[in-house]
Amino acid sequence: MLNIKNLEVTIDNKHILKGLNLDIKHGEVHVIMGPNGSGKSTLANVLSGKNGYETKGDIKYNGESLSKLSTEERAQKGIFLAFQYPLEIPGVNTNIFLKTSLNSVRKANGKKELDTLAFLKLIKEKATELGIDEKFLSRQLNVGFSGGEKKKNEILQMKLLQPKLSILDETDSGLDIDALRIVADGVNTFKNKDNAFLIITHYQRLLDYIRPDFVHVLSNGKIIKTGNADLGVQLEKTGYSNLV
Amino acid sequence: MKQYYDFKVEKIKELSQNEINFRKKNLELFYESGFPNKKDEDWKFSDLNYILSNNFDNIVNNDYLSKEENLKLINDFEHNYISLSNGRLVSSDFSHEEKNKISIENFNYKDEKNLDKKNSLNFLNHALALGGFILEISKNYKLKKPLVIYNNFSNPLKETIINYKNSFIINENSELNLINYIDNFSKENFMVNTIENIIMEKNSSLNNILINNSKCNGYFYKYIKSDLKKNSNLQNYLISSGLKFNKLDIEINLNEENSKSSVFSALNLVKQEHQEIKTRINHNAAKCYSYQKVKNVLNNHSKGVYQGKIFVKNIAQKTDAYQLSRALILDDNAEFDAKPELEIYADDVKCSHGSTSGSIDLDSIHYLKSRGINEKDAFQMIINGFLCEILEKLSEGKLKNFLIEKLERQINGY
Repeated sequence: MLNIKNLEVTIDNKHILKGLNLDIKHGEVHVIMGPNGSGKSTLANVLSGKNGYETKGDIKYNGESLSKLSTEERAQKGIFLAFQYPLEIPGVNTNIFLKTSLNSVRKANGKKELDTLAFLKLIKEKATELGIDEKFLSRQLNVGFSGGEKKKNEILQMKLLQPKLSILDETDSGLDIDALRIVADGVNTFKNKDNAFLIITHYQRLLDYIRPDFVHVLSNGKIIKTGNADLGVQLEKTGYSNLV
Repeated sequence: MKQYYDFKVEKIKELSQNEINFRKKNLELFYESGFPNKKDEDWKFSDLNYILSNNFDNIVNNDYLSKEENLKLINDFEHNYISLSNGRLVSSDFSHEEKNKISIENFNYKDEKNLDKKNSLNFLNHALALGGFILEISKNYKLKKPLVIYNNFSNPLKETIINYKNSFIINENSELNLINYIDNFSKENFMVNTIENIIMEKNSSLNNILINNSKCNGYFYKYIKSDLKKNSNLQNYLISSGLKFNKLDIEINLNEENSKSSVFSALNLVKQEHQEIKTRINHNAAKCYSYQKVKNVLNNHSKGVYQGKIFVKNIAQKTDAYQLSRALILDDNAEFDAKPELEIYADDVKCSHGSTSGSIDLDSIHYLKSRGINEKDAFQMIINGFLCEILEKLSEGKLKNFLIEKLERQINGY
């Protein structure tokens, strides 16, 4: 699904990623761990199409070069980034945002747009699965939401848009145990053989809930070690210093 | 500078000799200073004399027989209405309300009070006003439906000025939702000079909403003076776009304890449009509350101005006053000027102000795009959200939906 070859990324003359290689296939869950400043969020941002990065190397998504696609085209084709810091957009009603988003993606994929009634039925169902109160959806997008509410809202968007590749950038940070379980359940129930996950995290505790196929250690702009779920357990004990 | 206006009291028909004298005196007062210019502190950022002289050859006053020109009623919500044509009262309908609770009369110059000695536009209004009305709501009466005032302007308007004045008396324990709706069917350049006088008795409540429905080549000035008694509550909502020039000059006097007032405005300016909100909130009594939130979106060569003053008298202890202006500047050629002023003579008060201006946050755009929303829609969504936020405190319902829809239409350029 995703093939990254020798990716180099520079921002403001700072060389962040220095030749990163990564292959993700359908049905796989990949976890990236690594010390602060190793380039994890940069990778997530570049994959989402954020401006301001100079890139070299090659990223293919289902055989198509990603660099030619705008951010919205990537989203429409099934790439989803759950933001580390979801943005607060004053005055924009969460429900209206979600409906616009869903219908933009549906339209781009040649599907019929949902009318308000059908949308509200769908969103109510998804919100209930995540234990999100409906009232919360009539509030302004992320404005005044707690950290946990913002992260749950990201997972709600993921479940609504049904992306092929979900990138979760530290979605588990700042969550209490209950919220973490809800987020993890959200991933586990959505996971299937046709989609894939790239999960960026600092904490092994997420791996108690989500079973990854691969764990990668990113350090100084490169993946320096790849293993299975046990690697995460080992890192929790020994830290990164033995590897770096 | 060329003489670009010529006003005559004689053009107004059927006046008594006393009224002619009164009007002539006011016209003289106007001619002493003419239209205000930037030397006047209140007009520092909006040189009206310069603006008018560049856009008019000769502004005159006229007197038309007003007739109702296919009044287009709003279908979105049930309402009472008053219809004005070029400032003159044409018809009214209060069929949703109980009888004898609302009185409406044509304006009489004998009820005139000089509102502001320094303001030449008020003199001009006194001299040339063709009409207006006095509306009074009885004690203990809460109107069941909102009241829409249709301010229609129709031909021949070219190079003319229309002056009118309306008064509202909201008696004890009464409530009104008022929508001043400006519609225009003319492509000519014209000027409108309005005075609105609001008296709010104890425990009364008024939502005073001003919105224009179409773009036009009009140059508008409106002076709104409000006097509030104990526990009364006045909320002003100003939603405007597509006018060549518009200045809303707002004076609110919080004269008795626990009176409350807010000003919320959303202006979306394009091309060479120029709009100003000027406020003076006088806290003349203790424990009063005032809140102002002024939002501007500026495109092309437009100019937005906010001059907001909070005055706190020495006896006005426990005042709670706040003002905020926020501008989104979307073009290097657009300009936004903000002048916040606090003048405080009491020592136990809570007063603050804030002002920000900047461009749209590109991270927010990226966030929306990352959800499949295209760039144009993402910008639109953020601008809509930025301006619609001022309606947040208005209770949910058909009226609010109507206002949001109108505001979004303004943002889309009608």
